[in-house]
Amino acid sequence: MSSDTSIHGIFLSLKSVSGDLQSRSFRWWVGFFIVTGLSLSVIVGLLIVALSSNSELGLQAVVGTVVIASVFQVAYKLQKRSVAAGRLKRMEGRTICAAVFLVTSAEVVLWALSAIPTVARAFSVAVILGGFLVAVIMLLILEGYPILKVRGSAGYIAEAGLLIVFSMAYMTVISSWISPFLATKINVGPILSPPSLAYPLGTTSLGQDLLSRVLTGGSIMLQVAILSVIVCFSIGVPLALAASYRGGVADRAASLVMDSIYAFPGLVLAIAISAMLGPGVINMALSIAVVYIPSYFRVVRSQVLTIKELPYVEAAVAMGARSRDIVFRYILPNLLPSAVVVMTINFADAILTEAGLTFVGLGLPVNVPDWGWDLTFGRTQLITGAWWVIAFPGLMIVLLALGFTLAGEGLNEVLTPKLKE
Amino acid sequence: MGIVLNIQDLTVTYKTRRGTACGVNNVSLELEENRTLGLAGESGCGKSTLGRAIMRLVPYPGRIVNGSIILDIDRDIEYQGGFIGKGPKDLMEFSENEMRALRGEEMAYIFQDPMTSLNPMKTIGSHFVELVKAHYPTMEKAEAIERAKEILENLGILPERVDDYPHQFSGGMRQRVMIGLGLALRPRLLIADEPTTSLDVIVEAQILQQMAQLKEKFNLTMMLITHNLGVLAQTADSIAIMYAGRIVEVADTGALFERPQHPYTKALLESVPDVTKPEKTLCCIPGSPPDLIQPISGCPYGPRCAQMKDTCRRIEPLLVRSSTGGLVACNQYTGD
Repeated sequence: MSSDTSIHGIFLSLKSVSGDLQSRSFRWWVGFFIVTGLSLSVIVGLLIVALSSNSELGLQAVVGTVVIASVFQVAYKLQKRSVAAGRLKRMEGRTICAAVFLVTSAEVVLWALSAIPTVARAFSVAVILGGFLVAVIMLLILEGYPILKVRGSAGYIAEAGLLIVFSMAYMTVISSWISPFLATKINVGPILSPPSLAYPLGTTSLGQDLLSRVLTGGSIMLQVAILSVIVCFSIGVPLALAASYRGGVADRAASLVMDSIYAFPGLVLAIAISAMLGPGVINMALSIAVVYIPSYFRVVRSQVLTIKELPYVEAAVAMGARSRDIVFRYILPNLLPSAVVVMTINFADAILTEAGLTFVGLGLPVNVPDWGWDLTFGRTQLITGAWWVIAFPGLMIVLLALGFTLAGEGLNEVLTPKLKE
Repeated sequence: MGIVLNIQDLTVTYKTRRGTACGVNNVSLELEENRTLGLAGESGCGKSTLGRAIMRLVPYPGRIVNGSIILDIDRDIEYQGGFIGKGPKDLMEFSENEMRALRGEEMAYIFQDPMTSLNPMKTIGSHFVELVKAHYPTMEKAEAIERAKEILENLGILPERVDDYPHQFSGGMRQRVMIGLGLALRPRLLIADEPTTSLDVIVEAQILQQMAQLKEKFNLTMMLITHNLGVLAQTADSIAIMYAGRIVEVADTGALFERPQHPYTKALLESVPDVTKPEKTLCCIPGSPPDLIQPISGCPYGPRCAQMKDTCRRIEPLLVRSSTGGLVACNQYTGD
């Protein structure tokens, strides 16, 4: 797997058997059809959705994101080649990549300002964010795949999980531009119509288009999950590291606080806090974060207490390592796998808790499209035979939680050298 | 030949729930340059505590309460925020920062268990990089890796294995890596705490041989802590026998094995099997080591000693010069 070939990633398996016709075996054709079939169906699906969008800007949005990502991809490739040849330093290469991304983004903003001045801001934010996500997806497919493949099945798991998560994120980011109807608009079609050509996923009891709602509904969920995990991780891990490495009073005090939070049942505490703070993305994220900080703290603390007594830490002290080095280079890398496992559980839990909060009415106002709301309303329609109303939003929640779990599980194994196959 | 390490009246205590245990009791030792001192004794006699006390790494709840450890530093050491001039310096007067600069640079410590002494998340090369960076922050990574390769090659490990992780090495190789890490910065003093205990005899012999070669090459002064007298017979220039936190006998290796002076040394040697004398019956030392929290009056070895006299109950023997040129702490030799 040399880094200088222009064909990478999934397409590598196509290249390896290319040659005369004889060698294009059955396996090659299967691989070819799977890869091209999947990519084509994704592209065609995106284009159909984009062309029939209610905002009339769907195509522009999709094309904009893909253009940003492709330009970035080309710049990345050229930069990588220059770095490999020694013409550029690594930092310079990265700066160039960032600059290229910024310039293309600026182009999009300029185009939006001149062509669609009324919605320019929202449009360019969505397209730039979407472009970034597509760039990440492309990097994962083209560059990440060979790297992850070295690590065996763990790599595939991580790759699959990350792809699911980033694709969901991309879908949500540009959803409002590509969805066929306004997600909150009622009576766009017949009430509770089953999936049909006009309404591919059917309609809800209020006559809303379910496809639009499914496309759009992940945004709040993702925001809440990501925010709460960031808050949890950046409070729980450093706090546990510092407190239990120091030991003594600091450790006791921190443990006491964490244990007292732990004493409450998670969902009840989240409901209580979000009832206190009121609805809103940040409040929901905070209430979920408070519930999950103790689980980080507990896991990290027990790890620190084990690791700091291990001979290799002692050996590092005997070689003159500073406390800072010991914490960040010896203890932190060794406990990260466990913290990452907690993080994946936390991601999945945060999504489910968010759905739960919305379900009991503490999440968001009804006019915000959300998979949690769809579940709440669809629940009552199920007995009339309208399975699609909760099936598709539920599927999306499961997929997103699955993506996070797979990504975390895989990354955990990829990051631990000992589990290398 | 100068004195590299001079320990005077070193006392280390452990505060426990039952009271204060004296792990190392008034120990004085001298180490000459380029010599190997073996430190032997049964479990719990304070060998490792003494070794760690020299690095000032006595684990909690231990504390050095008295004494001085004078290390002859052979070069000027610069570290972040300070400077240590060369010459004999008392380690007890150094701050934690100064000690940190000395550890690894002037004195190195090799731990007992090579299987867990390396960070499982890091490659062997990055262990070396880390060590070098901790002492010379300005050194380039590539240079540190080059150095690591050179050292590993010296120890019989292929240089390209710097990119491997510890779990890909065998126990003997890991211990060699540990020795390599200890010697990477050319320290003056190497303290090896049972470096070959968990290895099989063949690997043990290889490693001891390599350590002897490296000692010559790097002009090392070594302190070898072990309970294996066979290892010491092979490698040490002189041997100190410890019992209940005290040094009871110091002698050159040959003299100690030929004419042991202290009854405890004699008993120890009689409990070791000898290939050349298959008819030798092994004996054991009756009783158990004394309680370090409630020390008995008189000689600590008294109750287990075959030649105990009345004076031994009252008088604690001091180290005196013995007829073989070493030092011995036994009332037989004090003239009373």
